Amino acid sequence: MRPLRMALTKGRLEKSTVALLENTGMNCESLREKGRRLILPVSGGTENPAKLQVVLSKAPDVLTYVEHGVCELGVVGKDVIQEHGGRFFEILDLGFGKCGFALACPKGTDFFHGYQSKTVATKYPNVARRFFESKAMDVRIIKIEGSVELAPLLGLADGIVDIVETGATLRENGLEVVERISEISARLIVNPAAMKLRKREIEELAARLEQEGKREEAVT
Amino acid sequence: MKNYSKITPEGTRDILLGECRARREVEKRLSGIFSLRGYHEVMTPGLEYYDVFRLSGAALPQQEMYKTTDNHGRLLAVRPDSTLPIARMAASRLQSSLRPLRLFYSQQIYRNRPDLSGRSDECTQMGIELLGASGLRADLEAVSLAVEALSACVKDFRIEIGHAKLFPVLANRLALPEEKREELREAIESKNYGMLSALLDPLGDDPAVEAIRRLPRLFGGEEVLREAERWCTGEESRELLGSLKTLYASLKELGLGERLMVDLGLVQARDYYTGVVFSAYVQEVGDAVLSGGRYDELCGKFGMPMPAVGFAMDLDAAAALLPDFPGETEQPEILVYGEAGFEIQAQKLAASLVSQGTACVCSVFDTWEESIEYAKKTGISRVFSVGEATRKLNIGKGETP
Repeated sequence: MRPLRMALTKGRLEKSTVALLENTGMNCESLREKGRRLILPVSGGTENPAKLQVVLSKAPDVLTYVEHGVCELGVVGKDVIQEHGGRFFEILDLGFGKCGFALACPKGTDFFHGYQSKTVATKYPNVARRFFESKAMDVRIIKIEGSVELAPLLGLADGIVDIVETGATLRENGLEVVERISEISARLIVNPAAMKLRKREIEELAARLEQEGKREEAVT
Repeated sequence: MKNYSKITPEGTRDILLGECRARREVEKRLSGIFSLRGYHEVMTPGLEYYDVFRLSGAALPQQEMYKTTDNHGRLLAVRPDSTLPIARMAASRLQSSLRPLRLFYSQQIYRNRPDLSGRSDECTQMGIELLGASGLRADLEAVSLAVEALSACVKDFRIEIGHAKLFPVLANRLALPEEKREELREAIESKNYGMLSALLDPLGDDPAVEAIRRLPRLFGGEEVLREAERWCTGEESRELLGSLKTLYASLKELGLGERLMVDLGLVQARDYYTGVVFSAYVQEVGDAVLSGGRYDELCGKFGMPMPAVGFAMDLDAAAALLPDFPGETEQPEILVYGEAGFEIQAQKLAASLVSQGTACVCSVFDTWEESIEYAKKTGISRVFSVGEATRKLNIGKGETP
């Protein structure tokens, strides 16, 4: 049987995941010097003989690979899970990549005031739709791919739904948080069939990651 | 206007030649097994009234159904599920039949899936329903039939059993509002341990809270049932576990040992199951290839209460997994060519060869040479010509005209 395959979100989460894997005693050299290879073997030393194949991919693709079972495991942000959904197990909060979804609008305006229906710009239309549905509000949602903060400045939208880390970008553009929607961090997801068929391996790996994550948290 | 005449709608596909043969082969094997076990085939209409699928407690999500209207403006659904129509049928047209009813089916279901997820909107399912029977004997029959069906078309599989009532029984003790309960269910279903703790922590230390906390981790071998007994202390949940234990022991005795698993975290949404539930998994397939369970309250919703159990197998997946099945279509043995004026005789010769059990095909070409050329290209080994004299050429043995 081939080693467990893990889809890993490229970019921001990549570094922290690699660090976490290394802390559990895995040799991640191939991930640090990946060149053009797409499937990278990672293996542990004497203490942790586990073997993994790591696939680096864009965040939504992590969900797709895990859902279809071509990767048993995935590391992906809760934001992507909330936006795209899917059928997989979300077994572990890895604790890094922390941020949150929030509704923000230009400073001094009252988003909830008045009866006119509002327009919201966002990269996450499903998250926005669910949020306003839970408030029983009819809102026009416009999908924006790039800097969402621009939309209210240009007069396209009354507010935005976006990821907020420190709020610095918002402040610089004269926006402020109206309401926080949900908290986000990196998650370990697992294909349901794989969880059943390779229970022991997956649970061992998850336990190791959890333990290391907790130790790290205690240190910092 | 854009013209879509050359492609099939998203989520559908053509099934060609070898694929078709593999699928028919699976159908043949399964219907053989089901028939010998006393099940009778039924078919339900492709279109049903929408109401059939919107019963309270057994409703399918409306966004997943393909809908249309009849000529009175009544809402119809393109069959999204086979069990509901069969329950309808059993509760109406078959209501005076002797019980239990043993029915099987092989038909398409249609679901409107989110775009480009790679899942089919059109799936062929083959399954059984055993209606009017409850208890260990019936459950055992359904699961062992599922195992027979799986063994007939896949090499290696695991089958897991759980109980649909365990979570409701535990959750009832907590008297939660509907929304909270649904959030809990989702956390268990997706094995989201973090969210589950966040939801349960404020609820105090009721034994039911501790039991629910453990549900998503309670999967694996027989030890899971023993472990569960430590946490599920209520009388009702004890009873459910007891019935699972008996079933597990019986299945083990049937020789399923290694392939059998328990998952007490099986808590699907919006389904009609009320008792034992089971699904089967195969290596390299991300989804269950077979799933089923007991649904004792469904027929009652159609006005004729009776206990029932059944399962459905994903025929597309099973056909793709069929081991050692030649994918390519075999060529007939003989090509029959009729010279000008002998076309009818050629057909007669072909018919008589076929009646003797020899596969043959008639040449539609005008000349003997073209016919030979065709036979060579397609791998037909012998060519017969019907005319004043009959010619026979065995290309397979290297003969040339």
